[in-house]
Amino acid sequence: MRNKGVNYAKYGYIFSIPFVLTFLIFSLYPTIFTAVIGFTDLRGMGRTEFNFLKQPFDNFVLILNNPTFRKSLGTTAIIWLMNFIPQILLSLLLTAWFTTRRFKIRGQGAFKVLLYMPNIITAATIAILFNSLFGYPKGPVNDLFMRFGWLDAPANFHMQKWTARGVVAFIQFWMWYGNSMIVLIAGVLGIDPTLFEAAEIDGATSTQIFFKITLPRLKTILLYVLITSMIGGLQMFDIPRLFLWGGPDSATLTASLFIYNQAFSGSYLYNRAAAASMIMFLIIVVLSAALFHLMRDKDEAKFRKAERLRIRNAKKQGELV
Amino acid sequence: MKRNMRIVVSFLLIACMSFSLFAAGQTEAAKAPARKVINLWSFTDEVPKMIDKYKELNPNWDYDVNVTIIATTDGAYQPALDAALAAGGANAPDIYTAESAFVLKYTQGDASHFAAPYKSLGIDVAKKLKEADIAPYTVEIGTNTKGDLVGLGYQATGGAFIYRRSIAKDVWGTDDPAVIKTKVGPGWDKFFQAAEDLRKKNYAIISGDGDIWHAIEGASAKGWIVDDKLFIDPDREMFIDVAKTMLEKGYHNDTRDWTDAWFADMKDAGAKKVFGFFGPAWLINYVMAGNSGGTKPGEGTYGDWAVCEPPVGFFWGGTWLITNDKSPVKDAVGDFIEWVTLDSSETGLQYYWANGTLNGPGGTKDTVASGTVMKKSDGTLPFLGGQDMFDVFVPAGAFASGRNKTQYDETINTYWRDQVRSYSAGNKSRAAAIAEFKQQVADNLAIAVK
Amino acid sequence: MKSLKASTNITKTIIYVVCIFLAILSVFPFLVMFINATRSTFQIQQDSVSLLPSKYLASNWAVFKGKSFNPVVGFVNSMLSSGGATLCAVYFSSLTAYALVAYSWKLRQPFFTFILAVLMIPAQVTGIGFYQFMYRIGWTNSLLPLIFPAIASPSMVFFMRQYLMATLSLDIVNSARIDGAGEFYTFNRIILPIMKPAMATQAIFTFVFSWNSLFIPLILLTNSKKYTMPIMVSLLRGDIYKTEYGAVYLGLSLTVLPLFVIYFLLSKYIIAGVALGALKE
Repeated sequence: MRNKGVNYAKYGYIFSIPFVLTFLIFSLYPTIFTAVIGFTDLRGMGRTEFNFLKQPFDNFVLILNNPTFRKSLGTTAIIWLMNFIPQILLSLLLTAWFTTRRFKIRGQGAFKVLLYMPNIITAATIAILFNSLFGYPKGPVNDLFMRFGWLDAPANFHMQKWTARGVVAFIQFWMWYGNSMIVLIAGVLGIDPTLFEAAEIDGATSTQIFFKITLPRLKTILLYVLITSMIGGLQMFDIPRLFLWGGPDSATLTASLFIYNQAFSGSYLYNRAAAASMIMFLIIVVLSAALFHLMRDKDEAKFRKAERLRIRNAKKQGELV
Repeated sequence: MKRNMRIVVSFLLIACMSFSLFAAGQTEAAKAPARKVINLWSFTDEVPKMIDKYKELNPNWDYDVNVTIIATTDGAYQPALDAALAAGGANAPDIYTAESAFVLKYTQGDASHFAAPYKSLGIDVAKKLKEADIAPYTVEIGTNTKGDLVGLGYQATGGAFIYRRSIAKDVWGTDDPAVIKTKVGPGWDKFFQAAEDLRKKNYAIISGDGDIWHAIEGASAKGWIVDDKLFIDPDREMFIDVAKTMLEKGYHNDTRDWTDAWFADMKDAGAKKVFGFFGPAWLINYVMAGNSGGTKPGEGTYGDWAVCEPPVGFFWGGTWLITNDKSPVKDAVGDFIEWVTLDSSETGLQYYWANGTLNGPGGTKDTVASGTVMKKSDGTLPFLGGQDMFDVFVPAGAFASGRNKTQYDETINTYWRDQVRSYSAGNKSRAAAIAEFKQQVADNLAIAVK
Repeated sequence: MKSLKASTNITKTIIYVVCIFLAILSVFPFLVMFINATRSTFQIQQDSVSLLPSKYLASNWAVFKGKSFNPVVGFVNSMLSSGGATLCAVYFSSLTAYALVAYSWKLRQPFFTFILAVLMIPAQVTGIGFYQFMYRIGWTNSLLPLIFPAIASPSMVFFMRQYLMATLSLDIVNSARIDGAGEFYTFNRIILPIMKPAMATQAIFTFVFSWNSLFIPLILLTNSKKYTMPIMVSLLRGDIYKTEYGAVYLGLSLTVLPLFVIYFLLSKYIIAGVALGALKE
């Protein structure tokens, strides 16, 4: 598997050029630009020139000491956990159901297609729809609860902090579990089928198979789902904004919404917004690194080390010859 | 897989700042002679449609108008407009419009240096203002800090109290606006007395706390910012107590404006029948008539409404037209702007607008900024049981004031109303709500709070 | 044996109940949207969620058509930009993934780590200055800035790499070489067909995302001839004082229809599933 012909190495570089160039132009340049703004006094609409601050980290200190920003970080974490844990559990459960050989679920294809569908509709439509569903004093959810006798009087859901957070988390969960499920199923299909066969012959139950064989081998894909979901979760923006504009009483004010408000709600604090997004970037990097570390494949690390050693030795031998 | 890419835009304005650095040289080069193109930026197609009418009336005005419409609902209009203004060059807007929620930014605030005084467009401002008898608050808002007029609107959005005739008869034995205005005003004490009278007969005086807010906001002596600091006007502070009292006493149905329940109250579909709404003429045309559950008197609540003076004066909404100071076609722009904002003749825009004849007969009637036009127009509406709404809305424009507005109003109002709701719902104490409000203003806008 | 079968049946019933419930939940918003497209603005304001269609479809269409833009143009622009972005993303991500799997080059591992790092840069950071840059190179009112950035889609490269690791046998590549095929030819003619299922899955994700994106297009495209469908729907919402909800829902429904078509055309790959390999192997 590993001797892929040294002569062809240059194609590895050539085929990566489009990606690298596009990244440099469309992502790296703007990223550096933001980082720079974070150290300047650029604020106010129509300003064209900016100066670097004498205390370069002033904006960062201001943002870190900003109570609303701190609160928004907590809110982001809470809403993310509320959406991510059920999301990953449900998509794992569905993955198990749809890939197990024990139950032959009929209409599987149709279910897979349907469950992904919430992802097709725009976030704006969904947020507005949910806002009306939970309307007060009259709205479909209130009508339903009263009909079943669960409520005596209409509840003002939009004023309940935890309900609002729950709805935002639910929307996020519901829009993305189908997507995670499709990726996870792809991961399971990549596992060598003989492993399952062997386990079945040994008399393992499907629960055992799932936890002992499927899950450990799903690590890479799970990591991918975790990281993309975490990044998505930390950037959660349009659902909280469109559902209740971050309310009630900042209960759904996420960090991204905070950053948006810094730049757009009237004072044009671009420098602080830039500093806040760099802080967000650092947080994402740290959390992602932690995830990588937690889920790193210890065997693989060893394997790679051994590989490097082998190549070095081979080279040395080559030099000798 | 990149979720929520829209956040990207959060930073566009940063972008806008900086590209003007690079575009600086471009502006000079763009002054090509005798350009026959006008760039118009707006957030609805109202003003662009006026261009069509103007061209029809003035065939000699042969400019091509490039129209850019960006809706305000997604928060994209201002960033894009700011970017285009800062960039300058041949594609810069010549005319742009601003809505009352953010117009001050473009006439007196951070973006006011882009605006050209109307007098530089070849308009005899003082004479025309007098001739057309323009509602003073629209002039106040459109005047920059140097005292030059830079923006004017075509609508007048002075507010009235729009109430139900049948409920008025049931409670006070009459539906005459001259009598009802003495029941609900002047002043809030009388208004709450009326609320109590209505409550005894199981009516709600208004639909939710949002209805009363526009009136309270508009009537306060000072705005949110005084000497670069947050200032809570006593009138506005009173709102927190009023909102709580009204909720506790059941004076309203506790709806939120622009939600289903609020619209439903316009046709008696709520918990209690609602007596009235605060609003300008457009609220009747755009919102209430359609939501009344009928299209002619006798159906739903249609025809069972009347308007009277509100307990305090206020205005709500409106569109202002502004010209770019760097526009190379100022004279042509000036001709159009004068026709829209200051022409009080029967071929002026406002006459068509007031009588609903801009796109042929039978359109929606509306109040306009020019008192002169109002005098020769007819505001009779079957929705109001045949009342001439201009009788009430024209004086209402005179009550309104633009002096208590700031460019931060949209944001600060949101924070304030959110905290007021939390307090009246019993989620926190009054002091905690006010403290949190100040904290939000300080954290998000970097405005000193004390 | 019997009790095992009974418990299997119970589990199966639970599975069906859960799946059917989730499926209904998935269809619900579309149903509301389509029904609202047939209702008048004022009906929607009174009850925004209803399961009873009304008779205002034609008048909503009239409002939509009466605006200063042309829905057909919007459809074409959306197709061009989303289709272009999807093609770019799918082709170049496959190419980059192939470079990572098929060749052994010195910077291969660092490059992969780099791609993972790029994945972590939050969109809000990368967006800074994007608009400025587009303005400087004169790419406003052009569909290009909506298409080309898709060439660097790190998450898709990751996905494609995992897929190739599970499915690609280097013997195929080697035998192609023996037959005298060039590297580029091999990739286009032999590797790409192998990647079809993964490409289809990712194409759906990208197309949906690109088709629904609103903000960047809204700012970049100010000429009505360049508007995309979501921009047109957003313009229908105009300002808060006067929103044509019936026409908005009609616009949203029209926007989603092409997505349906594409999605169902490609859905056989979702049904069959694609196999993704783990890191090693």
